[in-house]
Amino acid sequence: MEPAIRLCGITVRYGNGDGGLVAVADVDLDVMPGEVVSIVGKSGCGKTTLLKVIAGLVKPVRGELVLNGHKANTPHRGVGMLFQSPLLLPWRTVIKNILLPIEVLNGDVRSYLSRAYELIEKVGLKGFENSYPWELSGGMQQRVALCRALIHKPSTLLLDEPFSALDAITREEMWGLLQEIIEYERCTTVLVTHDVREAVLLSDRVVVISGRPGRVRSEVRVDFRRPRGLDIQYTKEFNDYVAMIKSLIGD
Amino acid sequence: MASGKKFKVINPLLTLLLLGIAWELVIRVSNIPNYVLPPPSAILAAFGSYPWYLTYNLAETLTSALIGLAIAAAFSLTLSIPLAYSEAVRESVYPLITGFNAIPRAALVPLLALWFGLGAAPRVLTAFLIAFFPILVPTLTAMITMEKELWEMLQSFGASKGQILIKVAVPRAMPYFLSSLHMGLTSAFVGSVIAEMVASDRGLGYVILSSTSRLDTPLAFACLILLALTTFLISKVLSLVERRVVGWAYRVNI
Ligand SMILES: Nc1ncnc2c1ncn2[C@@H]1O[C@H](COP(=O)(O)OP(=O)(O)OP(=O)(O)O)[C@@H](O)[C@H]1O
Ligand SMILES: [Mg+2]
Repeated sequence: MEPAIRLCGITVRYGNGDGGLVAVADVDLDVMPGEVVSIVGKSGCGKTTLLKVIAGLVKPVRGELVLNGHKANTPHRGVGMLFQSPLLLPWRTVIKNILLPIEVLNGDVRSYLSRAYELIEKVGLKGFENSYPWELSGGMQQRVALCRALIHKPSTLLLDEPFSALDAITREEMWGLLQEIIEYERCTTVLVTHDVREAVLLSDRVVVISGRPGRVRSEVRVDFRRPRGLDIQYTKEFNDYVAMIKSLIGD
Repeated sequence: MASGKKFKVINPLLTLLLLGIAWELVIRVSNIPNYVLPPPSAILAAFGSYPWYLTYNLAETLTSALIGLAIAAAFSLTLSIPLAYSEAVRESVYPLITGFNAIPRAALVPLLALWFGLGAAPRVLTAFLIAFFPILVPTLTAMITMEKELWEMLQSFGASKGQILIKVAVPRAMPYFLSSLHMGLTSAFVGSVIAEMVASDRGLGYVILSSTSRLDTPLAFACLILLALTTFLISKVLSLVERRVVGWAYRVNI
């Protein structure tokens, strides 16, 4: 089977000359269709940069991005992105925020309306369609942002520390929700996170990046069947994974 | 605190009344002649003597200032879009605009009168020329300071710069644009009044100039009060429009 995302010897440099900085170097990474891969590593090691390369937002100085067998190097509609902050537009209602990508692309907003309602219901925000973002809690706002990331049926979901601004209880709720969504939408998912427990709970594979410049240090396959219940966290295997990955990040 | 809202209206009026009484008393006690500094009673009398004359000239000033402001608003909003779109355009045009803004616009009135005569055109143009800059700057700044991640997210959907600008950057700039109209409003009035003083036979600026030359200072003061009152009231209307149109920007009660 062809990988959905293939990074081949990716090297990214910010700035030119002596002031420049090599953010990531020679990164090879394959993500299979439907797979969930987490990227972990110390702050500043280039995780966000890798995500932007996959989205086509950052052009590598060396290496190649191949999506479903096709070379790509510009932004493409196949991805949905979710960041740490929901970045909703305060002058738009929930439903209009979700439809923004369609509108910006001059798509037929009406034909996506039923999908928008369906997503709203899936994330448990039925009844809030016409609320404004500032009337919602942080967790609810992030759910809206998730709907917006999915509205155009992307095949790939790119998440950059999506839950790190949320409290522990809301975060666990979001873990459950995200698993349901990934299952339902059958998205290939790349998740950047600082939370090793989150990485182990949600992903099939955890990629550890070492810093300056960022390189793939090692990969850990997580052998639990998906979707996973939250109580899996209290098993020994789970905590062994967490301990191993933490030690890989550590040194 | 329950009656706080009522006090908000009454308190400044009360202050004004007290100031007026004090002013009246000082003038009467010190025997300052009316043509140097008229007491409130003389100013009120001027309103009584020239009601239609004042109304007519106020209408002239108001019309040219508001037309000038409207043109300035439309011009600034339209121009800020290409300026926000392209750094190259910004770098080549913006310094010229800033440079032009450094010219004292009052000095242009005689030229405008030479080109356009003594009609409404030089007054409207002066109002426009003074008012556009304070509207353009905050509007443009709001457009080009959009959150980087928001920009990238929209780009990742394949949106072009122009699409992002129209759908996100422009609406995002609306609160700044509308609040800059307050500055634009006072500037437009300054522009109209200056033009009326330099090259016109009507408008409150002209009335101020001609009445002071006749030493009819109470009438000049009546004009000043009319100008202040009108600008104040229009500003209030603008605030109401702001709350309606961009209420979302005022969701925090600071
Ligand atoms: N636009 C940019 N211009 C210049 N340097 C940048 C830019 N973006 C990132 N960098 C640098 O590249 C390196 C990697 O940044 P990146 O944001 O990918 O790290 P990260 O792993 O996501 O960090 P964190 O976990 O703190 O979010 C950092 O040293 C950062 O300073
Ligand atoms: Mg990051």
